[in-house]
Amino acid sequence: MYNFIDNLLKIDPYQIIKAEKNELFRSYFEKLNDHHYDNCNEYKVILDNLKFIKSNKNLESYPMLPINIFKDYNLISSSKEKIVKKVLSSGTSGNSLSKINLDKVNALNQMKVLTKLLETFIGSERLPMLIFDQDPKNNPKIKFNARVAAIHGFSLLGKDYCYVLDKNDDLIFEGLENFVKKFGNQKFLIFGFTSLIYKALLSQSSSNKDKINLSNGILIHGGGWKKLEKKKIKNREFKKILFEKYKLKSVFNYYGLVEQTGSIFIEGFDCNYLHTSIFSDIFIRDKNFNILKKKQKGMIQLMSLLPSSYPGHNILTEDVGELIGEDDCKCGLKGKYFKVHGRLKDAELRGCSDVI
Amino acid sequence: MSSKKNILTQITRNKNFSINARKPFDENVIDFISDFSNEIRRSSKKNNYDLMYLSLWCSRKKINELKKDYYFSQIRLGRGLIFHICPSNVPTNFIYSFFFGLLSGNSNIVKIPSNTFYEKNLILKVINNLFKKKKYSNLKNSNFFINLEREDKKIDQVSSICDGRLIWGGDKTINEIRKKWIPERAIEMTFSDRYSISIIDIKKLKKLKILRKQKIIRNFFYDTYIMNQLACNSPHFVFWIGKIDKKLINYFWEELYHFSIKHYDIREKITVNKYTKMIKNIIDYKKFGNIKRYDNNLYVIDIKKNISNIENLRGFAGTFFQLNLSRLDQLKSYVSKKCQTATYFGISKKDFQKFILENEVEGIDRIVPIGNSFDINQLWDGYDIISNLTRLVNYE
Repeated sequence: MYNFIDNLLKIDPYQIIKAEKNELFRSYFEKLNDHHYDNCNEYKVILDNLKFIKSNKNLESYPMLPINIFKDYNLISSSKEKIVKKVLSSGTSGNSLSKINLDKVNALNQMKVLTKLLETFIGSERLPMLIFDQDPKNNPKIKFNARVAAIHGFSLLGKDYCYVLDKNDDLIFEGLENFVKKFGNQKFLIFGFTSLIYKALLSQSSSNKDKINLSNGILIHGGGWKKLEKKKIKNREFKKILFEKYKLKSVFNYYGLVEQTGSIFIEGFDCNYLHTSIFSDIFIRDKNFNILKKKQKGMIQLMSLLPSSYPGHNILTEDVGELIGEDDCKCGLKGKYFKVHGRLKDAELRGCSDVI
Repeated sequence: MSSKKNILTQITRNKNFSINARKPFDENVIDFISDFSNEIRRSSKKNNYDLMYLSLWCSRKKINELKKDYYFSQIRLGRGLIFHICPSNVPTNFIYSFFFGLLSGNSNIVKIPSNTFYEKNLILKVINNLFKKKKYSNLKNSNFFINLEREDKKIDQVSSICDGRLIWGGDKTINEIRKKWIPERAIEMTFSDRYSISIIDIKKLKKLKILRKQKIIRNFFYDTYIMNQLACNSPHFVFWIGKIDKKLINYFWEELYHFSIKHYDIREKITVNKYTKMIKNIIDYKKFGNIKRYDNNLYVIDIKKNISNIENLRGFAGTFFQLNLSRLDQLKSYVSKKCQTATYFGISKKDFQKFILENEVEGIDRIVPIGNSFDINQLWDGYDIISNLTRLVNYE
């Protein structure tokens, strides 16, 4: 398969309108699907058994893979020898880990696309970067998990990295202070998981911390709200406190799957909605998998043009979402925009077997 | 002996606790169970199918009928202390297990489900109230319900002094518990993970008037959808016996689908798990025939005649695997030791007897009409539980 991602990188990922995108995305998605069919045995078996015939299919009729499949099977759409990296993620509920096999092309595409998408929000210059996480170098035993993978990916956007969490994920205050002293007067980047940022900056105040000024920072954060939901913290409030305490204005939440690293969904400017790009698409489905219209909550299905060394291009997640609109968000970004409402509720299961 | 007493006192926190081996179907025990039945009927929510069934199952009338089946010509007594280990995700199983132990004349220590269930709480409340009555103080002092974690040392302790151990649960649980020592003379019955099937005679079903057909289909629904097919006794396979009749078979599934829309509210999370299970089955088994989805309420999957490893193939929440066989005796290769219940329509006892004896069939411990798969019976998983829990004294 030729690497069509390079073609797409020439286009502004957020300025393609529906009619153009449908044509473009569908044609590439079809090629990608053929690639997985031809190169991943398990994927071929699934499509054959579901009697999937591809001719002129709508995007939504391509069979989705449920997200937990990546926990039970080691799926590869490339030759085994070409796999250079295996990302493990505890992602959704349960104990076992998702296994994502990356070859060089796939890993590179992830980085290229991530950089391209974030350019819209932070510009193309590499910025000094404050990272709310542990320095992976200090802890070589940490496996290549989703957290490390995210830092690894996002760090391409920055320079002069400064990690400000210790091995208990507590804030290293001096580190933060020094970074701000050195770079606080220029544009800089802040990155971290939402819950870690919350823990470090918002959960408990101290007079020292309150003096910190992050007004030139641009915060990119993701990784879910699950831990904060219990504390009843929502996106708007999160932003409000960051502004009130640290004068931080530019805050962008992102949403994405480790199975689709790179083609993440980022919040627009001040709109509080997540956006698709030319590399991704979303459908919201009801319990019978029918497509839901705008403003109806349902299960999130995510598509990405990036996964090429494993069949992660069309995934049914266990998240609940709601489509808000398409191409007409006030923030100016084109494409679909949506909200995520957390995970599906667990259902009580009774039975005598060791359950599913 | 003193250490046994110590363990009992420590576990039950009751100095008067002692092990009693009585005669089976003791009058006091029957009174107790019958009072329990009345109290459950009185206090349970009226729409609670599990508890209504339980109350009927242990009514005085039913227990007396059961007693008739156990008119023992030999001399029999309970074995002593029976340790019941019951699954955490089935709300009422533990009480049936307890009653089998009680009716056969034993003292019992019962591990109750760890999950919270309305049914469990009500049952324990009723039992505790009955234990307070003077009439049942002897039962109070010889029976005990206990919460135990998987790794609890008390499991080892009770095991080490019991005369019989019943383990209900998945294969993993059974294997773990079995490592815990029981005395040389103690017996053990395991109720492991099984699968169940349904066998339908095409010609006989076709002959039925429409209302009777619908009744069979509804009964099939109750056997399977009630616990999302997670109960061992819920069929996953339908074997259609006789000359294939596609119209009839389609009618069966259509009707089941329509009935399920009205009576089964599939939750989104279950939908995802069901779809995931199907995709996993496809990866594992590679070649199915037609796969038909009736929305997400019902999946019907044709299996090939040469399918192997069928005992590990399971559906979930309304997923059925079907196969047409021209004769009953062709069923043999699809029935492994793990096969527990066969629900049937249109096949006689004689036919089954012939099929099982002549083919030396390894599995199937229970053959019941479609609709009766959840009926709980002392004859279970190939055991006569009540007889096994008694000690036989042979006189010649």
